[in-house]
Formats: sequence, C-alpha cells, structure tokens
Amino acid sequence: MGFASSDLAAAAERVARKAETVADELNVQDGKLGDGDLGITVSKGWREAASVDLPDDLGRAFLELSKAFQRVSPSSYGTLVATGLMAAAKATKGRKEAGWDEIGPILVQARDAMMARGKGELGQKSVLDMVDALAAAADGLDTPAPLLKAIDTAATECLDAFRDKPNGLGRARMFGEKSIGLDDPGMLAARRMIDGLLDR
Amino acid sequence: MKKILNNPADYVDEMLDGMIAAHPDIYAQPSPRVVSRAGGATQGKVGIVTGGGSGHLPIFTGYVGKGLLDAAAIGDVFASPSAEQMAESMRQAHGGAGVLRLYGNYGGDVMNFDMAGETVELEDDIASTTVLLADDVVSAPPEEAEKRRGVAGMVYAFKIAGAKAEEMADLETVTAVAQKTADACRSIGMALTPCTVPQAGKPTFELGENEMEMGMGIHGEPGIWRDALKQADAITDEMIERLTADMPLASGDHVSILVNSLGATPPEELYIMYRRAKARLEGAGVSIVSPLVGRYATSMEMTGATVTLCKLDDEMEALLKAPCHCAYWTVG
Repeated sequence: MGFASSDLAAAAERVARKAETVADELNVQDGKLGDGDLGITVSKGWREAASVDLPDDLGRAFLELSKAFQRVSPSSYGTLVATGLMAAAKATKGRKEAGWDEIGPILVQARDAMMARGKGELGQKSVLDMVDALAAAADGLDTPAPLLKAIDTAATECLDAFRDKPNGLGRARMFGEKSIGLDDPGMLAARRMIDGLLDR
Repeated sequence: MKKILNNPADYVDEMLDGMIAAHPDIYAQPSPRVVSRAGGATQGKVGIVTGGGSGHLPIFTGYVGKGLLDAAAIGDVFASPSAEQMAESMRQAHGGAGVLRLYGNYGGDVMNFDMAGETVELEDDIASTTVLLADDVVSAPPEEAEKRRGVAGMVYAFKIAGAKAEEMADLETVTAVAQKTADACRSIGMALTPCTVPQAGKPTFELGENEMEMGMGIHGEPGIWRDALKQADAITDEMIERLTADMPLASGDHVSILVNSLGATPPEELYIMYRRAKARLEGAGVSIVSPLVGRYATSMEMTGATVTLCKLDDEMEALLKAPCHCAYWTVG
C-alpha cells in the first residue's frame, strides 16, 4: 500500500490549515532577514493548492499543486515549492499510486531540482538544507508512521544544526553575521508544514 | 506621486486593456497578463515568447507582432509574471514547432520561466529553449558576464530571432541566432531623474538637482559613479568607450546602435547623443547599420538614456533589415 491522489488532497488541506495559523509568525521571521512576506507566500500558496480538485493520476495531481503555487506565489520561495512539487509530478507521472518508500528518492529529486532552480548549494542555511535532511531521514522507510516520525525529528535537528550559522543564499545572505542565531525563514516554513502534516 | 492613473492596483491591467484596444489588429489578450498576436500562433513556425515586469514599454508586450515575438507574459510594474502566466504565453505562441523563451536575466523571471518551460513540457508536450539577454556591461565584470542584467539589447534579439523564426527555421536554429545576437549586444545606461512605481508611490532613487548617475540600471540599480551633470558629448563618449572596452570593435565592423530614452528624455536629446556616437564609431572605421533612436526600452518617466551596440554578421544584418510590424516598430 502506498499513497494516492486522495491522500495528497488531504495532506494539502492539513498543511493549508496550518499555514493560515503560522502566517504571522513566518512574516515576522522573514522580516528579520528579508521583506517579511513569507507567511503570505506560504499561506496563499497552500490555500490555492488545497482548493484544487486533484485528478487521480498522481503525477497530474502533484502538477496541479505545483501550478497552484505558480499561480499565486511568484516569489522565489513559492517558485521553489512549485519546483519541488514538479519534481514529484515527474517521478509519479502516469501512476495512481506511489510507495511510501518513494518519498525519500522523490525528496532527493526535489532537492536537486530546487538547487538548480534557486542556484543554491547545501550548507547555505536555506530550505534546500531542510529538504536534504528530510530526504536522508525518509530514505529506506516504507510505512507512513515511522516516515513521518523520522522527518519530524530531522526537521527539528536541521533547524538546530543551522541556527548558529550565517545565511549564505538569497536576500538573507546580505545580513551575514546578523543572521547567526536566527532560524532561516524558509526552513522554518518547511518545519511548520510538517507540523501541519502531523496535525499538530 | 504625480501620475495619470485610476487605482494604482489597476495600473497594469488598464494599460494592457488600452494597448490592445488601440491596436486590435496587432495584439490580443487571450488570458489576463498574456498578450499574443491578434491572429494567434503561426502553424509550423517556432514561437518566441518573452516576459517580465511592466513599466518598460515598448518592452515587453509591445514587441509582439509579425517578424518579432509571438506572445509575452507581463507582471506588475518591475515584478516577474507568474510561472502560470509564462506557461500560458508559451501555449499561445506554440505553433507545433516549439518555443524559444527570450528575455532578460533577472532572478525571478528566470526561475518562473524555467518553471513554465517544465510545466508545458510535462502537460502539453511543448519543446522549448531559453536565451537570456545579459547586455548591461555595468552590472557585472566581463569574467562574470553571465550575471549581467538584460536591458535594451533585448530589442535586437527580438528583431533578429523573430525574423529567423519567420523564415520557418527550426527551434535549434532560431535559438542559435538569438544566442548569437544576445552575445553581440552591449548596453549601458545613465539617469538624471527617477521613476515611481505606482503601487509603491515613492521614487526608486534620489539624485541631486544637477547630478547624473552613470551606469544606472533600468530599475534604478546603482551605477558606477554619481556626479555633476556633464555635457552630452562627454556623456556619450564615456558610454561608447565603456561599451567598446567590453566588446572591442575593429575598422570595417558592422554595428547597429540603439540610443534609447528611459522614458522622459526627449528625442531631441537622443539625437544630440546619436550625433556624437556616430562620429565616434565612424571615426574608428565602424559602419553603422539600421540605427535606432527613440523609446524602445523605458522605465516609465525616468529621465536618462541607454546606448546599445549590436555587432552584426551578414546573417544578423539581413535579419535586422527584414520586415516586421508592431505598434512601436515597423520595418519594410
């Protein structure tokens, strides 16, 4: 048993609900290192994604989620999320179901596509590091409960590991040493999305 | 802010409505913020699309037309269109022979257009390629030329690649000609007064009453120096010298030159600059082909000018002289 388009729709709904409640927190965090609109990007994007009727084809369903982000969030973070979803669309194209053990490899593909699109590297304290950590955590796991638990732990550890490093990518890079001690807003947004998946 | 507008939030959409209403034989708007040719895509022809923020007319949408572009996606003033709008522009431009994305090197535009390319490949089986304009010599040193911003050189790329596509060349060939043109363009700007983004309501930068800034970008990005306003010949000399230092010209070379107003600078002043530029280039034995003087790539009401040189080979020269028609530029 794996996951299907209906699981994806349910997950998008949970994440969208969470995104709504954390929009202010993300705006404030983003305001310390950027232009302070990340909460808007994330909440608008997921609200749109959750409102789409997803087709049964899993690849098409991921593509619809990606397009929802493209539609309402042309900011760089919105485009990165859309890029990750697009990678998942390519990996699952033409199938009604995918195995839980595919989440790890899909996250690797998403990470690589996001790195190429954002012209970023690992270690620069960005959402790319978070996706990398989640991919590693998901590797080899083929049932949902242990998988979610592993990515939950990995997300927390990733934030902890990078908090005291300077940002090296995007607008946050300009803040240099001042970014030390602050959570990267994009990583934090991913953490909150995982909270949403866990209905926390 | 002193602008002729209604609600600042409607600035772009009302502008597009008016532009299409004024030129219904040239433009159509098949979906919001996507402008195509009035007659749609030409079957069997490579489609060429562009996209970027509003506030630069005739760039981007203005150059949709026969012998030029097939479609354009347009964002808010100085902001990228969405990937969804870019994808739709590609669908509108697709005549079965693939689509070239031809636009300026700005981070948001690049991310969204790449995304759009993947979307239409996955969803509509449209093959596409990208050529980025990175002609502003001030925006990065030669060793990092790929980081440069795209400015008025785009006009040459639209024209030359557009003419090649009109010959029904394939996607690979049109892309190669567009890339050759992009590589042959160098531009530099200078500004006297700023412009105001309607939804921001404040000028993009401040300059003293008698000051100018050399090398300023079309969104007010910082230039090389800021000092007392110089005379036209001295300004033009410096611009030509900086361009030819970056792209050396030899006696006998054929070059087209675009002396472009950033919006508020009148043709009179552009001609004063052109006069000097021509003397300098011809003094070095360079032949000027199809010179362009006027408003081709603007920043709304910014005062200032850009100078672009496009070094031509025989193929590019013939394509530059081939017929084209849009509301802002007609050849033949």
